[in-house]
Amino acid sequence: MLSIYTIGTSSLHRLHPLTKLTGALLLILATYLTNWPLVPVLVFAILLIIARIAGVAQRLTGTVLRLILPVTFSLFLIQGILFPPIGATPLPLGPITLTYEGLLFAYLIAARLLVLSTTILLVLFTTHPSDLVFALTERGLPRSVGYILLVSLQIVPDMTARATAILDVQRSRGLATDGALGRVRAIIPLIGPLVVGALVDVEERAMAIESRAYTASGPKTSLRVLADSIAQHRARTVMLLGIAALIIWRIATAIEIRIV
Amino acid sequence: MQINPVIDLQHASFSYAGTTTPALRDITLTVLQGQICAVIGRAGAGKSTLCALVAGFIPHFFQGAISGSATVDSQNVFVRPISELVRHVALVGGNASGQLSGACDTVFEEVGFALQNLGVPRAEMIERIEWSLNALQITHLRDRSPYALSGGQQQRLVIAAALALRPPVLALDEPTAQLDPLAIEELSDLLRELAKNGTTMLIAEHRLEWVAALADSVSVIDAGQIVAEGPPREILTDPRLETLRIGRPRSVTMAQRAKDAGRWPADLALPITLEQLVDGIRGHSGSSTEAIHSPAARPLQTSNASNPILQIENIAYTYPSGVQALRGASLVVGRGERVALLGRNGAGKSTLVRHLNGLLRPSSGRVLVAGQDTSTTSVGRCARTVGIVFQDIRNQLFASTVRDELRFGPRNLGKSKSEIDTLVDRALAALDLTDAADSHPYDLAPARRRLVAIAAVLAMDTDVLVLDEPTAGLDNASIALLAQLVYDLSSRGKSAIVVSHDLDFCFETLDRIVLVRDGELTLDSPANMLDEAELAILHETIGLPFGLRAAQALALDASDPLNSVLLASAPEIAT
Repeated sequence: MLSIYTIGTSSLHRLHPLTKLTGALLLILATYLTNWPLVPVLVFAILLIIARIAGVAQRLTGTVLRLILPVTFSLFLIQGILFPPIGATPLPLGPITLTYEGLLFAYLIAARLLVLSTTILLVLFTTHPSDLVFALTERGLPRSVGYILLVSLQIVPDMTARATAILDVQRSRGLATDGALGRVRAIIPLIGPLVVGALVDVEERAMAIESRAYTASGPKTSLRVLADSIAQHRARTVMLLGIAALIIWRIATAIEIRIV
Repeated sequence: MQINPVIDLQHASFSYAGTTTPALRDITLTVLQGQICAVIGRAGAGKSTLCALVAGFIPHFFQGAISGSATVDSQNVFVRPISELVRHVALVGGNASGQLSGACDTVFEEVGFALQNLGVPRAEMIERIEWSLNALQITHLRDRSPYALSGGQQQRLVIAAALALRPPVLALDEPTAQLDPLAIEELSDLLRELAKNGTTMLIAEHRLEWVAALADSVSVIDAGQIVAEGPPREILTDPRLETLRIGRPRSVTMAQRAKDAGRWPADLALPITLEQLVDGIRGHSGSSTEAIHSPAARPLQTSNASNPILQIENIAYTYPSGVQALRGASLVVGRGERVALLGRNGAGKSTLVRHLNGLLRPSSGRVLVAGQDTSTTSVGRCARTVGIVFQDIRNQLFASTVRDELRFGPRNLGKSKSEIDTLVDRALAALDLTDAADSHPYDLAPARRRLVAIAAVLAMDTDVLVLDEPTAGLDNASIALLAQLVYDLSSRGKSAIVVSHDLDFCFETLDRIVLVRDGELTLDSPANMLDEAELAILHETIGLPFGLRAAQALALDASDPLNSVLLASAPEIAT
């Protein structure tokens, strides 16, 4: 099954998914609810250390950079050069003019995005998707939503494998896929079987899960067992308190600013 | 044992919504507890519909007009919801991948999927999963993804998942379609064991030899109606099966030929199993002096080494994942040869096939197609010489009519319009599809759809036709068409390469046997000239075809004319 989960046995891997999710939420809120420019950098550094310990640092930075770089570039372009905030301090730089506020704004958004994506990816890298879904359904996520989450993880590799197979089949029937005209003419023979296959799959899948008692009444059981501990439970409580504190603090300062 | 039948259909009829002809008419069928009832019939006769009805898929998933009554394990299947019926009856269909949950990433969890939904306690769940995996001999695959398995392995997985439910009733729709011969034997042992422990079964199946050795009763279905039912030996020897184009077990045809040659007692009932055939011949000391002529001996096409169409020279292939699928395979195929490519799942057959038209290029060694090296020739160019029909026909069909589907290949090859018309008409006729030329391929029964896929490649008129598992899901009449097609190609100097688990088809239709094992070609011999050592290798790797098993059981001397009775090359099925 394709997911970005990386098999491992590190302590991060072994944590209960909810512990990881709570921690992730705390870190993300900390960067989004504070305006100090250093916070995202600090949080990112902490994340990198954790990733290093979990043995996923290299994959993580690679994936994050691929995700973040294009966005960052366009942010700096838009906020820093093209649409500076009104009344911004100009910073002339050769033929172009940047603004201090524009750059700071672009930096904050980019840094927050960096933390957001790094945190989420770190959780996904170290948590088996089925464990994640199971932990959430245990806490009240509808089973059908959980099922759809897991199925959608399978769809991408499934479609990729089928697309490759279809390409093989039609090329074996002499279909040329080179040249502009060739590509256009190849669309129907390639997309047709893919779409029909997907439609048939949906129908079959609906029958398959129903015939395998998906909608049976009565209590459900699970093969998966998630390891939890009192320490983790306490840590989650502390982190939840931290989240609450952050939110209260943010609301309080917002009110304060308005009063002042 | 209870006296009331566990499966009890009374005058059940069903028509799919939007159709006028009923798929099932007035079916009355009872199966007692622990009995195995086999349903045989041509493709499209209603076997799958009957299985679906017994499992409650009809009317719950397929809409239509239904009448009569159906009771399975004391449940009225017409009214009980599927989610409740699953506690009483499990259906295993022929297409395994479509029966996976889609939400499990290991074989182990896939087998447990339904158990979780039914709230089976965890400890019991694990015990049941282990038992099922072991029963289907897939314990070694437990941590693999269900999607990374071969067709045969997936088939075993969905059977395991059904058995884990411990259903009192099991409906199996062509359970052997994707299995190799050894796995088929193992499955019949398992099913017999289950029946002994009280499981009641309805099995729709084309493989008559398999049915003969397994079933307690056989029902023959034709055009939605049960036309005969009774004990296997009575039904399967009935000559009416030939008129219904269902065919008869090979033991029947062989015994009849032996009878003509005075080697089968005139008063003994015809045999339906290998054991009965062997016992009958052994017990009869008829004179063997009479010359026995093989009914339709075909001339053996010998390898035309001076004019080969395909040359594979010591090729190795390693997938990007690091799996070494081929390690030094060499094969020369002459014009007009009929080659069987045999081997267990994962032996490297599919990888080898993908080398034949340049879809894959060897890591080392080279492949010459009509003298051209595939590493410097485009796939499109190779496609002029080698046509490949892949196993999963869903990846192939896209046109809105059968005729358009057939025109696609030759048009890609740049043939003229009149030439295309001729080729398409000839391909349609060869596979008995002329009447379906203007139908949508997906409106045809799955078995005929497979014939469309074959016809579409046939219409390209290539020098080599490669068929990957062409007989899967086909009835005997269609298999006979296929055999005829291969002969015709061969007589026109065109070669056929067939990858198949269907050993009987391979030995009866093809003249050269190539065995792929662990990425190497461990055996390459004319089909009728296998020596003891080669037979032993075949036997342990994939099993032996029916005729050879009979000849071995009788310990026939090579000079015994009976050999030609048992090993005749032509399947005798009325078409």
